[in-house]
Order: sequence, then C-alpha cells, then structure tokens
Amino acid sequence: MSVVTNRALLLVAIVLAAIYLFPLYWMYLTSIKTQSAIFSVPPQFLPDTPQWGNYATIWELANIPRYMWNSLVIATGVTLITGILGAGCAYVLARYRNWWIDMALFTVLMLQVLPPSLMVTPIFVGFSWAGLLEYPRFAAVLAISAKTLPFFVILCRAAFMTVPRELEEAALVDGNSRAGAFVMIVLPLARNGILIAALIVFMQGFGEYVYSASIIAENRLQPASIGMTNYLQPNQVNWNAIMAYAATYVTPVLAAFVILQRQIVNGLTAGALK
Amino acid sequence: MRRVLQSMRDGIGFDTMLVILTLSYLLVFAGLPLIYNVVISFQTVDVFSLGTLMHPSAGVENYVDIFEDRQAETVLRNTIIFTLGSVALQFTLGFALALFFHQNFTGATWIRGLFLAGWVMPGLVVGVLWNWLLSGDFGVVNYVLDGLGLIDEPVFWRSNPETSLYSVLIANVWYGTPFNMILLAVGLSQIPEDLYEAAELDGANAFQRFWTITLPMMRATIGAVIALGTIFTLQQFDLFAAITQGGPAGSSTVAQYWSWELSFREFDFGRGAVISVLMIIVVLIVSLIYVRSTKAETQL
Repeated sequence: MSVVTNRALLLVAIVLAAIYLFPLYWMYLTSIKTQSAIFSVPPQFLPDTPQWGNYATIWELANIPRYMWNSLVIATGVTLITGILGAGCAYVLARYRNWWIDMALFTVLMLQVLPPSLMVTPIFVGFSWAGLLEYPRFAAVLAISAKTLPFFVILCRAAFMTVPRELEEAALVDGNSRAGAFVMIVLPLARNGILIAALIVFMQGFGEYVYSASIIAENRLQPASIGMTNYLQPNQVNWNAIMAYAATYVTPVLAAFVILQRQIVNGLTAGALK
Repeated sequence: MRRVLQSMRDGIGFDTMLVILTLSYLLVFAGLPLIYNVVISFQTVDVFSLGTLMHPSAGVENYVDIFEDRQAETVLRNTIIFTLGSVALQFTLGFALALFFHQNFTGATWIRGLFLAGWVMPGLVVGVLWNWLLSGDFGVVNYVLDGLGLIDEPVFWRSNPETSLYSVLIANVWYGTPFNMILLAVGLSQIPEDLYEAAELDGANAFQRFWTITLPMMRATIGAVIALGTIFTLQQFDLFAAITQGGPAGSSTVAQYWSWELSFREFDFGRGAVISVLMIIVVLIVSLIYVRSTKAETQL
C-alpha cells in the first residue's frame, strides 16, 4: 500500500469515527453549557465558559450518589452470582464433548436470547407470590443474573478451551483432587478471560433497566438508570443537567472500555461466535 | 455416602455437580417463568390476585382480547418495520465499515475498536442521548440536516406519530452497527488471503472477488450476524423507554414494549403474558437458526 493511500484511508477512518462518536461529544459538551447556550441557534459546537457547576447541581438535585450506589450494589450482586455459578459450569462444558454436554450447551444458548421485557411479566407474578418483592434489590439481582448467566457461561467456556488439558492431568498425577486441580491450575490459567467476562457482566448489571424498573418500586432502592428516567420525565428542558447525569453514569463504563478495549472486544466476539 | 463424597471431589460427580448447580438456577429463574408465562396467559391476573400462584381462569379470553385490540395491527406493523429496518441498516453499515477497516492501513484496528464505545453503553443512556440529539426545535440532527439542505423545516422526530418509530430506529441502528461490524470483521479475517491472490492472477476485479469469494466464504458468519441482530432488536426495550415510551398515542409501540406496558402500566398481567408467549416463540425460532449457523461455523 502506498503512503498516500495509507494516509487517505486513515483520514477517512478518523472522519468516520468522529461522526460515529459525535453523540458522545455532544453529551459531554451539552453537560457543561449554560441553560441559554443549549437553546442557541445555531448550536455552539465548541465549549465556551464551561459550567462545571452543572455536575454539582444535578448530583444533589437528582440524588445521583444514592442511585449510583444502588447500581453498584445490583451490579456487584449480579456479578457474584453469575461468576460463582457460571465458571464451574463453563469449565465442564469446555472439557467434554458428548450428547449431554451438547444438550446443556444448547439449553444455555437458548436461554441467552430471552428478552427481559417479556420475561419480566411471569417473573414478577411468580416473585410476588413467593414474597421476593419484599426484598426488591435482591429480587432484581436474581432476575438479572438469570439473563447474564448464560452469556457468562459462553464467554468463560471459550476461555477454558484455551487451557491445555495436559496441565490439568499433570496436576492430577501429582496427587491433586479434581476440585484441587480446578481451583489451583485451571482457574488461574483461564483467569484473564474470566475476569473480562465478569467485567462485561458487571457493566450489564450497572446499566440494567427493565427488571429494576419493574421490580423495585421503592425510590430509595432504585438504580441510576431509573433515577435518570425519574429526572427526565418532569425536566424535559434541562438538557444540560440531563446530559451531566448521563455523563456521570456512563463515564466509568467508557473508562473501563478505553483501558481494556482489546480484551473486551475479544471477549464479546468470542461469546457471539463460539 | 463416602463414595458419593469421593466422586464429588474426584470423579464424574464433580463435573455433574458444577453443571447441575448452574442449570438448576437457570431452570428456576428462566425455565419455570417460561412455563408459568403460558399458564398466566390463560388467567385473569390483576393487582388483587397477584399474591397467589394460581389465578381465576380466563380461557382464551386474553388471546381474543389481544387479537381484537385496535392497537394490535399498529404494534404488529411497528414490530416488523422496526426489526427489519434495524437489522437491514445495522448489517449494511456494519458490513461496509468492516470491509473498509479490513484494508489494513495504519491504525485500522485501533480506530475500529473505538466504534465499540457505543455498544458498551447502557441502552437507557443511549436512548437519552438520542432523545436530545433528535429534539425538534433545538436538536443538532435537525440543524445538520437543514444545513445539508435535506429538510426545509424542523422534523419533530419524537412527537410526530409519522416519525416517532423512526426516531427509535435511528438510535437502535447507531447502537447495533458496531457489533455487526466487529463480528463481520472476524469473519473477513478468517478468509484465506491466497484465495484473493489467485483470483487476482485470474484477472478478477474487486467486484467479482467480492461476489465470488467474500460473500460465499462469509455465508455462515452473515447468517449468524443477521440472526443475532434480529435477537438483539427483538430484545430492545430501553431505547423505547428513553425516547418515545411507545407514543405519541401508541404510534411507536412494538410488541416487547406493549407486553410490558400491559403488565406494568395497566396491571393486566394476563394480557401482557399473551404477547410475551407469542414473541418468545418468535425469538426462539430465530435463535434455532442462529445456533444452527454457528454450529456450521465451528465445524468449518
């Protein structure tokens, strides 16, 4: 490839990425504009006297710390249940190939696709009979985990496939039990893949909306996604405040993505095609 | 007892236990709801009868109600437009971008990765962003379209019943395109280079190479990507909640949103379950196609 073609392609790529990422730029830019600047015609495309105070105002006004805390609690709960239950199952599904394993894998794949907004009706009715709605955050965690678990198993299975069987057999010869070999040898070797899968599950729990919105009625226990809609409905004109909320909510996710971009991309594609 | 414990630590019991634990969880929190869903679709379930496991029977009344509802036709049409439109556009744009970034210029992989930033964001935040971008009076999208001479007066994307569905569709295309692109890029990178070299020696031009090598070699990937795109689009809920809430006057309601609305806005869980049952059947059929096509892929 000639230098000129290379440069030209690179330039086109940058322009395409800039167009695609413009909504994110617009979010951050709007979040530091004054109320009158949001509605200026033509719109201002560059920052002019940034209003960082917007963040402090909306944090207090919309109770962001409390909502973010609830999101963290839910995401942590989901990641724990999913991680503990998912890793072992993924390991077995990666180790063997027979009819039973194929059926288990098929079941997991099919459960991965169920739309939450459709599953929430029977789950809600069942939970209210079982009395689980008394503990709304816990109930939401249980429901969300059933959604993230199949996905996590598929991702981890791909990670376990990369661990050579011989290493595990050597550990068994050395006198380890199966459980010992799994914990001491296989888990550490597949660690990176599992951690990335867990991170993706955590991000999904952090941004979850449908189950929380349907199950958690009490304001004080709701996550940031609901907090945002709660603020959005009556304040449709305060776009700088809404964008400051959105930026606060999404920046941790984007930061994790920027740092671990390659691993996350690999994890996501492995989950979809294997 | 000792033998059982021994096998838990060392034998087939260990493997079985690990799988059974996880599958039981999925059975309780996904399998049972699937069956229970069918049961309550034949019952009258409202706020007063919520606390019990079984509710007064409704026969097929819920199903009849749904099919006779005057919203049903709009919802069906919206669901088809939203799904086909989203999948077609996501796939086309995703494929175009994948082919573009496949040219291996400096920084191609890195810049391609930036597109995934959209995909990792919570759906609700993406919806709120597009809600602002597509605002009628002060939305930047209208400003750009006006500047390009494509529109004469502002389009009220979200509040005009003619365009409300498309405002969600646009957001969904933005949200889903990167994932299509990255999966198709994986497929492209698996095609052996020498096929192209051979074709070039035989005098095939770029267009012929695309039709005779790229497309046939990508068949399994394309099948998987289209099936996955359909599944994700049928799952889409957050964008509706954040942009139009199915409105105005139901003009942008799709099946998965209607089902939720019936259950959690009108508290008619029986009718909500009817749509849920019908849509889950559709999703499962699409997934069967997906599982089959990925199976074909791994055997290649």
